[in-house]
Amino acid sequence: MRITLTVNEVKRNVEIEPGETLLELLRQEGYKGVKKGCGCGDCGACAVLLDGRAVNSCLVLAAKADGHEVVTVEGLADDGGLHPVQQTFLEEGAIQCGYCTPGMVIAAVDLLTHNPDPSEAQIREGISGNLCRCTGYVKQIEAIKTAVRRMQGKGDE
Amino acid sequence: MAVAHVKEYLRPTSLEEALNSLREGGKGARVIGGGIELVLFSPPDVTTLIDLSELSLSYIKENEAGLAIGATTTLTKLIEHQTVAQYLDGVIVGMLHQVASPLLRNLATIGGSLASANPWSDVIPLFLALDAKVTLFDGKYRSIPLSDLYPTRSRLSGAILTEVLLPVPASGTAASFHQFSHTGFDVALLNCACLVKVDAGRCSLVRIVAGGTPRLGAALPAAAETLMGMELTDETIEKVAHVARESADTRGDRRASAQYRKQLTYVGVKRCLQEIRDRLVEGKG
Amino acid sequence: MSKREFAVVGQSEQKVDGIALVSGKPKFVADLDLPATLHVKILGSTHAHARILEIDTSKAEALPGVSCVLTHKNTPPARYTTAGQGYPEPSPYDTRMFDSKARFVGDRVAAVAAETEAIALEALKLVKVRYEELPSVLSIDEALANGAPIVHDESDATGIYDASRNTAADIDITTGDLTQGFSESDVVVETTCETQYVQHTPIEPHVTLSYLDEDGRLILRTSTQVPFHVRRIVSQVLGLPLHKIRVIKPRIGGGFGTKQEILLEDLAGLVTLRTGRAALIELSRKEEFVAARTRHPMRIRVKLGAKRDGTLNAIEMEALSNTGAYGSHGLTVLSNVGSKTLPIYNKAQNVHFFGKAVYTNLPVAGAYRGYGATQGYFPLETAMDELAERLKLDPIELRRRNHIRSGESSPIFEKLGEGREGVAQTIKSCELGRCIEIGAKRIGWSKKRVKRTRDGTWVHGVGMSIHMQGSGIPLIDMGAATIKMNEDGSFNLLVGATDLGTGSDTILGQIAAEVLGVPLTKIIVTSSDTDITPFDVGAYASSTTYVSGKAVERAANKVREQIVKVAAGLLEEDEDSLALAEERVKASSGRSVTLAKVCQHAMYQSDQFQIIASASCVPEESPPPFMASFAEVAVDTETGFVKVLNYIAAVDCGVAINPKMAQGQVEGSIVNGIGYALTEQMLISSKGRVRNPSLFDYKILGARDIPPIEVILVESYEPTGPMGAKSVGEIAINAPVPTIANAIYDAVGVRLTRTPFTPERVFEAIRAARM
Repeated sequence: MRITLTVNEVKRNVEIEPGETLLELLRQEGYKGVKKGCGCGDCGACAVLLDGRAVNSCLVLAAKADGHEVVTVEGLADDGGLHPVQQTFLEEGAIQCGYCTPGMVIAAVDLLTHNPDPSEAQIREGISGNLCRCTGYVKQIEAIKTAVRRMQGKGDE
Repeated sequence: MAVAHVKEYLRPTSLEEALNSLREGGKGARVIGGGIELVLFSPPDVTTLIDLSELSLSYIKENEAGLAIGATTTLTKLIEHQTVAQYLDGVIVGMLHQVASPLLRNLATIGGSLASANPWSDVIPLFLALDAKVTLFDGKYRSIPLSDLYPTRSRLSGAILTEVLLPVPASGTAASFHQFSHTGFDVALLNCACLVKVDAGRCSLVRIVAGGTPRLGAALPAAAETLMGMELTDETIEKVAHVARESADTRGDRRASAQYRKQLTYVGVKRCLQEIRDRLVEGKG
Repeated sequence: MSKREFAVVGQSEQKVDGIALVSGKPKFVADLDLPATLHVKILGSTHAHARILEIDTSKAEALPGVSCVLTHKNTPPARYTTAGQGYPEPSPYDTRMFDSKARFVGDRVAAVAAETEAIALEALKLVKVRYEELPSVLSIDEALANGAPIVHDESDATGIYDASRNTAADIDITTGDLTQGFSESDVVVETTCETQYVQHTPIEPHVTLSYLDEDGRLILRTSTQVPFHVRRIVSQVLGLPLHKIRVIKPRIGGGFGTKQEILLEDLAGLVTLRTGRAALIELSRKEEFVAARTRHPMRIRVKLGAKRDGTLNAIEMEALSNTGAYGSHGLTVLSNVGSKTLPIYNKAQNVHFFGKAVYTNLPVAGAYRGYGATQGYFPLETAMDELAERLKLDPIELRRRNHIRSGESSPIFEKLGEGREGVAQTIKSCELGRCIEIGAKRIGWSKKRVKRTRDGTWVHGVGMSIHMQGSGIPLIDMGAATIKMNEDGSFNLLVGATDLGTGSDTILGQIAAEVLGVPLTKIIVTSSDTDITPFDVGAYASSTTYVSGKAVERAANKVREQIVKVAAGLLEEDEDSLALAEERVKASSGRSVTLAKVCQHAMYQSDQFQIIASASCVPEESPPPFMASFAEVAVDTETGFVKVLNYIAAVDCGVAINPKMAQGQVEGSIVNGIGYALTEQMLISSKGRVRNPSLFDYKILGARDIPPIEVILVESYEPTGPMGAKSVGEIAINAPVPTIANAIYDAVGVRLTRTPFTPERVFEAIRAARM
């Protein structure tokens, strides 16, 4: 079946199988930043924004995205710069192997879009569906806190 | 490909159309909200998926009957809704914050959560304690108590769950939910939900539900009976929790033993009732 | 020892691959799409122990879209080890690509290569296998029992200690006289601890993409920690000359030891050789649990004898290690149980360390961060706490009276290496004393210890433990580096060293940048390509910073000398008066010339030559990093749930080349270790099947579960290390189990001797103690 979806602000008209997932479709279409860690919603490495909300793309049927908007990590930066969350991840040492990073960043962007001043508990909950084995989450939480301050126009601590 | 056996994906624009497709598809057709269950667990004979997302079933309305929630409302929408947040001092939102993760809640629908009847479900025990009613459409609309859907879900064959209704809470009512799990992003080893109405210091309505036993949330009538007509004191709470432990039908599985689940039932019911007592009797929270 | 002011080293520079990773650039193995790639799927045994009497692949082969089907009937029969270790590998050659016998549930039985994953999976179902089920051994005790079924009864395996007793490896070393040692002791304590099966769960499962390049060479693009060992072992297994193989490690999504193994490259390579096409194998998450590698479950008994003043007199450590169905890393992990733990208490004159690595028909154990030390510290550091209690000494004081110090040695260093004799060494850097002091203060030790503060049903307690590890394998590991200069004053740094997310590309770049007087951005790092980069054993044994870093330092110094020589000519100054800084060569007279100019001159103008140098490093010792670990826990006496309230890690890793990255290593290790202590376990059925092979059922810590963690880097200067550095990659994972066990004891008076300390287990222990 054919569907039309917008990915990173570009309209895409693609041929899909009904049983195909959004993860499979996106990676096939070249969005390699969307990662497969488990294929069944347990790790969050595949997270993308669907109509502005972070979802496990491995659990979304591609057909469901017909007529909807998807943003992957490749689409977060604007004008070639980095999203504040990406920038703080880089600066705070929150990236080790980087495999969980795209999904984690997507989840953080969803959180901050809908809750611009989250408490630490809310930050932890916001990325609770993204597993990481390298970092222990410590610097990722710090990075998100710094991004919060920057996005609110406050200085870094 | 993830769900290779699915050959047809339909997105009907009316409930009648959805129902027709469901009937035509027979055993091989399923309706989906977010579709999580189907992507993960669909049997190989399921070949047709009927997506209810375009049927305007995503809504949260307050009316005289209570809080009406459309079946395709995502769990996130519920968490973020003012009225839901205020229902019985935020017990629903408090429970939802413990369900899965934001990624899953952005996709999971209330209809799917109720229909999939996962035994570890946190939503079902609380909604049972709240005496939720569900509306099924099978050509006509029918409203049945949520408990009538379980344990076999036979009521759902050939029907589509369109709405869940939470009654207007009577004054002097409080509810509480507790779950125990190994990590924050984990399903419950055991969960409990309680609802109590107090009249002139005595319990006039009591519902106690335990889930993840490892079976689906089910009422503990003996425990509820013990509390009826009593005051909510440390002693009565202890007694009720003890009855809950004794009467809960727990089993062992790879996550916990039957004995330990009994202990968790005891602790969970105790903590639920203590919280309810704090709110109702001492006006805290 | 002096420490200069560094310009680049000691700074928390951003990772050289950071921007690409955070932008989601296609840098991982499976991000490369090649035309007509075949998808390979593996059929695993359904039995824990069985002979394969017959395999009928005809229906599978006939399925449209299937390119080839591999079984023991059509693949090389020679035995090898999958362990990615230096040659000759200290692990038995007990593995065949495909065997006619299955030794664990999930063992390779057949593989299918097809046009799509779906067709390959369909074809697997069509492979008909007739098994003869054999009695199996599903525990160490079963495997060692008289008359036990033999896991490795084949005649062509080599390097097995005693196959007839299912013993892959055996160790026994003694120093002093134990009988006398214990009889002289005023107090003796003994404990036996058991650890569980756990898995590394890298978020990227194992994956290999193989293809032939235009010259017909076999290219293996693979998620590995050991590219050079991959090349050698694949050459060995497939009978393909080594020079016809190129191994490239791009970015990989974590390893932690499970990728120090040749698990997929042989298979992908063979499919490519047979079909001429690219082949992709990705393990599913389930396969990652069942058929990759795990940590060796162990049962370890520790007996300590001490004088009344707390001085240890005798230590006995007996380790039984379950190495699973194959023996990779069996001997070396077993050795490390003692070699990375016992030297920390060097005052004990009488030490006996012995044990066995035992075959079972269970998931295969291999390398996992900590590598035996993690298991060993559990009984050692909990026995020390028991000893402290018996002696009425504070646990910290007991450690103080016994731990190794700078200038000291331990006979264990010489007697016990990685599977063979070790190398004697004297500690040249050790801030363990200060680590203990700082950590104790930060956690509030004296205020909280023994207090058992109650908070409803929760009781608080604090615990501690001390640790050492190593930095590389002395006289065995080797790493090399090549640095070449470009005419804009930048440099290419080529290292075999393997960045598995640890940031070694960045660390090594910083070392080079420091010596060459340039910012990190002027160092272009290429790593882990067997055609282009010089040799390195790979990322294990905490070797990269110390060993590969030293090679980089040496190569950089050689390049510096070449630069200085050219610059001396240009500036007409004495070479001795020249130094490299801020991208220039500066003379003490004040005159200077840019590095760019120097290189342009050497490249184009006169006496032209390429400024380039290589260097290697074989470490002569393995200077240990040290750590003092502290945790405050709360135990819910009604449910047994353990909450870690605060975790303090004071770590001496010498000079931290990149402090944020060093902290990151410690933080990640601690969180992994807390999972090992509290929530992670692979559950095995009575038929040897893994019952919970998914992240849904096997719980690793998430962002909501971590306690506040503070990592304090307590700097020392290691004279043998590059810029004074030691390792930091493994040590911290060894701490959470004993620290938390000791904290639980402080809280509720219960000594736990089996991990994980699940709520149910803790609750049962509390209940039993009350009776």
